[in-house]
This record gives sequence, C-alpha cells and structure tokens, in this order.
Amino acid sequence: MIDTQSIMNVLRTIDDPEMPISIVDLGLVDDVRIEPAVDTARVSIDILPTFVGCPALEMIADNITEKVGSLDGISAVDVRFVYDPPWSVDRITDDGRASLKEHGVTVPESGGKLPVPGHSGGAVELRASAVKCPFCGSDTTTLESSFGPTRCRMIYYCQSCRNTFERLKRV
Amino acid sequence: MITLPDNLKRPFADLLLAVADDKLMLGHRNSDWTGLAPILEEDIAFSSLAQDEMAHAQALYQLIAGLIGTSADALAFGRKSEAFRCAAIVEAPDEFDWATAICRQFFCDHFDRLRLRRLARSSDKPVADLANRLAAEEQIHVEHVDSWMQRLGRGTDESRQRMQKALDRLAAIAPSLFEPIEHEHELVAADVYPRAETDMFETWRNELEQIANDSSLKLDLHPPSPQTIGGRRGKHTEHLPPLLDEMCEVYRLEPNAAW
Repeated sequence: MIDTQSIMNVLRTIDDPEMPISIVDLGLVDDVRIEPAVDTARVSIDILPTFVGCPALEMIADNITEKVGSLDGISAVDVRFVYDPPWSVDRITDDGRASLKEHGVTVPESGGKLPVPGHSGGAVELRASAVKCPFCGSDTTTLESSFGPTRCRMIYYCQSCRNTFERLKRV
Repeated sequence: MITLPDNLKRPFADLLLAVADDKLMLGHRNSDWTGLAPILEEDIAFSSLAQDEMAHAQALYQLIAGLIGTSADALAFGRKSEAFRCAAIVEAPDEFDWATAICRQFFCDHFDRLRLRRLARSSDKPVADLANRLAAEEQIHVEHVDSWMQRLGRGTDESRQRMQKALDRLAAIAPSLFEPIEHEHELVAADVYPRAETDMFETWRNELEQIANDSSLKLDLHPPSPQTIGGRRGKHTEHLPPLLDEMCEVYRLEPNAAW
C-alpha cells in the first residue's frame, strides 16, 4: 500500500521550474491525502502557489501528476491549488535557503518584519537596504530593482564583490 | 463550494467583476510601458505590475465564472463594454506621461489594497482566501508607487510640477473607484462584503493625502462626483471601447480557439 512518505519522496525530486530547489523545500506542498480503494489509491495533493497565477504552476501540476502517478498502486492524482494557508517565504526550509543562496538568490529572514525595499516611512530611500550578499557576505548592497526576472524576485547589487544577485519578495 | 443565496449571486459577481475589471484595465495600461519606461528598472516593474494585475484578474474571473456559469476568457475578452464594471480612472489613457502613470498607480494601488483587505474578511471562504493572498501582493505595488511619489515629488522643480499636474487631473476622477455596485448593501448585510472597519473613503483619503504631503505635493480628495461615476453600473467613459477593441482584437477573431 502506498504511504505519504513515498509520495513526499517523489515530490522532493520535483524542482520549481523557476528556482533551483524542490517544491517541498520551497514550501509549496501543504497536504497529501490518500484515499485507498480496492487495490489502488487516489491521491490528492494541495499546493500553495507562491504568487497568484504564477506561470510555473501548470508545469508543477503536470510534473506532480506524471511522477506521482507513475508510482505503483496509484489510480489517479488530483492536484489542487489552495490559498489557505497563504504561501510565505517563511515556509522555505533551511536546505532550500542554503540551495538558493548557492545560486545567488537570498530569502528574507524567517519571521522577520518586512524590511521594505525602497520605502522607509517618510524618507526617500530607493536604494537603502541591509541585505547580505549571498556571494561575499557583505552588507554594502543596494536595491537595483524591486521587480525582477520572475514575479517573486527583486534584484540587488553588491558594492563589495560587484555581483548582482536576487532576493525573494517577502509575501 | 459557494453556498450563496441565489439573489446574491449576481450582485456578488458584479462586485468581483469590479475588482477584476479594474485590475485587467490597469494591467493593460501597465503593459503599454513595456519597452518604453524611462529607466530599465521601471520597464521591468511595469511589466511585472501588468503580469500581476492580469494574473489577479484571471484568478477572480475563474471564481466569477463558477458563480454565474461562464469561462474566465469569455469574461475577460467576450463582453461588451456595458457589461464591464471598472471605474473611470483605470480607463483613462496616460498619453505616455510618466507622472500620470505613477499617479494613476498611486490612487488605484492604495484603493485595491483596502478593498482586498475588506474582501479577505468575506463570509465566502474561497473569495476571502484569494483576496488575502492578493492583498499581500498588492502591498508590494503600494510600496513601489509610494517610493516614486516621494522621489518625483521631492526631486526637481520640474518633476514636482509635472507630478502636481498629473495628481490634480487624476484626483478629479480617482474617487470613481468608490462608486458602489448595484445591491451592494445586500452583500454588506449578508457579510459577503463585510462592512469596512473604518470608512473606506476616509481611510484612503488620509493615506494618500499624507503621502502626497510627505512628497511635497498637494492633494485634496472629495467623494465621487456624479459626472465621474457610472462605471460600476456599466456606463463608461469614451476611453473604454477603444481599449477593449485593442485588448480583445485577437480573441474576437476566433472566440472558441484553444490557447
């Protein structure tokens, strides 16, 4: 009989199409339910979208259906997108954070109050931040763009090692 | 599953259409700036804003489609202008004036965030969950536009003057966002659209006037005038039909095509 653990193991092999980490480390998987039948089981998987209507969602759903569906003893896979609880960067695992950092993408600290890029009350601070560079660890970084290559990312520049890097938006 | 009484389905659909239609038109106007924004970062920003607003609209259209039995595509591209519920300010063209684009965003993003936070308390759970998520994304838009208000308002004499001119022009039609939809009070009474915790117009006006003030700009907002409303009931400005003609051109060639 199929169990949740073996399904989670499969989900760990599925990467987010836009980021070099698995959908489990990214915190997208909210619930896995198995409804046993005579000798096969139906599986329902709840996925939390990072951003609403993220273009990667369909690809993620297809990958899940294909890979989980190929396990023995599964008759159907139902992938649902749910917004309760809302996905947040706090759901990214430590392994996920480490892997993103290696690829030059930083993540706002877990549970931390949003350091609003380019906005600090009454001041004009479009380029102020205290974001650590993922490559050299320097604090002397500046926000280049509060929007980036995908809807969930911003672009920063490190004055010390002169690399650009990305940061996930805090939602 | 939606357990809405039948008599509230149409008003609720209208309310959600007002949210989605505002977003679709604003997203379309945002996308005009792709390749043309004054700096590269804003080219990326306005293209992302367009993507965000259209994605938000699509998610809402899907819920509405389930409510009244149609499809998201048919709602977005298959309606005549009088079936849209958007407000006058999102219909207004910006004539590729950056100050106008920023000021329009300023009025609309702040309003959108307030309205979504209110919808996030709806007794209709699927709508509440989605609105909660959308409000978090809208927060990023608000921060972005506020920083531009300050940057341009406190920039040079020229930037401040151009911002003030755009702000004055749009302040006259921005309150059009607050026109209620038909039967809105019934949705409020049923807690589907819960009563605002504080008067929404006053909250919006205070938020905006304070930021304008911090940005060395003057802003004086008044409740919507009869000349600027009508959009929430299908009476639109002369700017909407040409916008729809452009936006729906491809869809109309073959409405049943699969994408």
